[in-house]
Amino acid sequence: MKKLYSNKLVIFSLILPGLLLFIFAILAPICLSVYYGFTDYSGMGKYNMIGIENYKNLLHDKVFAISLRNSLFLAIGFICIQHPIAMIIAAVLDKIGGRAESIFRCIYFIPNVISIAVIAKLWSFIYNPNFGLLNNIIKAMGGKGNINWLDEKNAIWSVLLVLIWHGFGWGMLIYYTGIKNIDPTLYEAASIDGASQVQTFLRVTLPLMKPVIQVNVTMAVISALKQMETVYLLTQGGPGNSTQFAANYLYQQGFTAYRYGYGNAIGVIFIIICLIATVALNKVFEDREEAKYRKMERKRDKKNAMQKRMMQNNYKNSVKAVS
Amino acid sequence: MKKKKRTKVVKIFMWIILIAIAVIQIFPLIWLIDFSFASSTEMFTSGLLIIPKKIMFSNYTKAFTDGHFLLYLKNSLLINILAVILVLVASIMAGFACRRMRWKLSGFVKTMLLMGMMIPIHATLLPNYKIYTELGITDTIWALLIPYVAFSLPQGLFLMTSFIESIPIELEEAAVIDGCGIYRIIFQVITPMLKTSIATVSIMTFLNNWNEFMMARIYLSSDKWKTLPFSILDFTGQYSSNYAIQFAVMALTAAPAIIVYIILNKHITKGVAMGAVKG
Repeated sequence: MKKLYSNKLVIFSLILPGLLLFIFAILAPICLSVYYGFTDYSGMGKYNMIGIENYKNLLHDKVFAISLRNSLFLAIGFICIQHPIAMIIAAVLDKIGGRAESIFRCIYFIPNVISIAVIAKLWSFIYNPNFGLLNNIIKAMGGKGNINWLDEKNAIWSVLLVLIWHGFGWGMLIYYTGIKNIDPTLYEAASIDGASQVQTFLRVTLPLMKPVIQVNVTMAVISALKQMETVYLLTQGGPGNSTQFAANYLYQQGFTAYRYGYGNAIGVIFIIICLIATVALNKVFEDREEAKYRKMERKRDKKNAMQKRMMQNNYKNSVKAVS
Repeated sequence: MKKKKRTKVVKIFMWIILIAIAVIQIFPLIWLIDFSFASSTEMFTSGLLIIPKKIMFSNYTKAFTDGHFLLYLKNSLLINILAVILVLVASIMAGFACRRMRWKLSGFVKTMLLMGMMIPIHATLLPNYKIYTELGITDTIWALLIPYVAFSLPQGLFLMTSFIESIPIELEEAAVIDGCGIYRIIFQVITPMLKTSIATVSIMTFLNNWNEFMMARIYLSSDKWKTLPFSILDFTGQYSSNYAIQFAVMALTAAPAIIVYIILNKHITKGVAMGAVKG
């Protein structure tokens, strides 16, 4: 058994397809990006090595700063608007039960399976100032209904709205699964103690959902950073770069502004930012848990604390795995 | 008595919230379908929905032929099914190697492969375009298949390793005693045990790649391998003023995924929930 399981040739053959794919499609392009990031390559013809000039320029690049700020805006929007609603709906859905539960769940998820190409196009019609749905709704409610949803001031909010609408079902589903995984006897105990529905939600559901919330928050931040497709089709980053995002910006620099080298430099920084964000989020969530357990350790005897540590380690692994 | 009344009020309130959100989620699609049957001139109304004077099926026939619907659907299906199969095979093999086989670098290699999850896919657009041009594989199926598989692999690998871990090792021991080689163990003993995770990985991979169009847009130039989103992307120029037909093509492009989702609703929900909670 042992010999069979440590056969180097077999191991190599098993890992080879995955490794080749990783090297060819992820590692090699990153290395190439690092290389071109040091050049003034326009996309064709000759080019010179210019050292860290691109990165220096990037430091003062207002548009790049705007795109990072927009990512932050989206992340906050997701966490403060989309997720609370998603969580409440998930809790309500869990209470309703019966056939309605699965029908509603199905409806909420439908926008998620539709191609972003269709979503972006559809919403560009919804935002249309002449016959768009949104202005018509405002007219029907007695308003003027002549708002230009995609102008410089409103565009980023409009983008946020599309993304919240599109991703709602996904977030809801994850919270819903989290709620379903909570031991029902806890609810029974709460109701015997005379807790109201809201109290039960705040005191039982919410604390137990913490790991799920952490997963969702991490995913929200990452998806806000990686945002590209919707913006690419809906606003092209405009008007006036007001809805610019890093991915879209590097694409524009590389393919339409003939600054291939600069685009690659953006790409390198973009990757680093994503890595840092993921690692940082995991650290933040980890530390808070750790601090909590440390407090406990002080209070209780050592043996007890050891057990907690073990549990915490298991938990940590699962959180780490999330990224 | 009073309490009963209160729970009733709460219940009604809950229904109102659920229905309100459902309307928000679904109404744009109803609007889309409604307008897709109208003629272009009817669309400039201030009403929310319109009752078309004549139901224009011709919108759909035009969308169907001029949007290259069948060709793009075929391409999408072929590329996605191939991607799913490749992701499954590669992730089961690598997952087994990293979890069960004994070698020094297993942890390192696994972490490295999982790092792929953190890399933003769009950061590779520029360099990959260069690589594919040099190799002459732009405008071929490989230009899509390679990145699709590579970027779905980390997630697949992650899910597979956690599932492989939960399979009792005694099964493999028995297989070894019966004289099975590693490959037979993987594909005849382990794989059948991984049914649920195979479903999960397939669904996640499919959902990720079905709607992808950025890479297709950059790496492809001719129509030969274009995928379904291009029905709508290429269409707008051709009928830029005929909005009704654009609505029809949108509805048509969205239809396959929605239909499949409604049919497989339960499995997809389960798959996504499992994938998300574990991944």
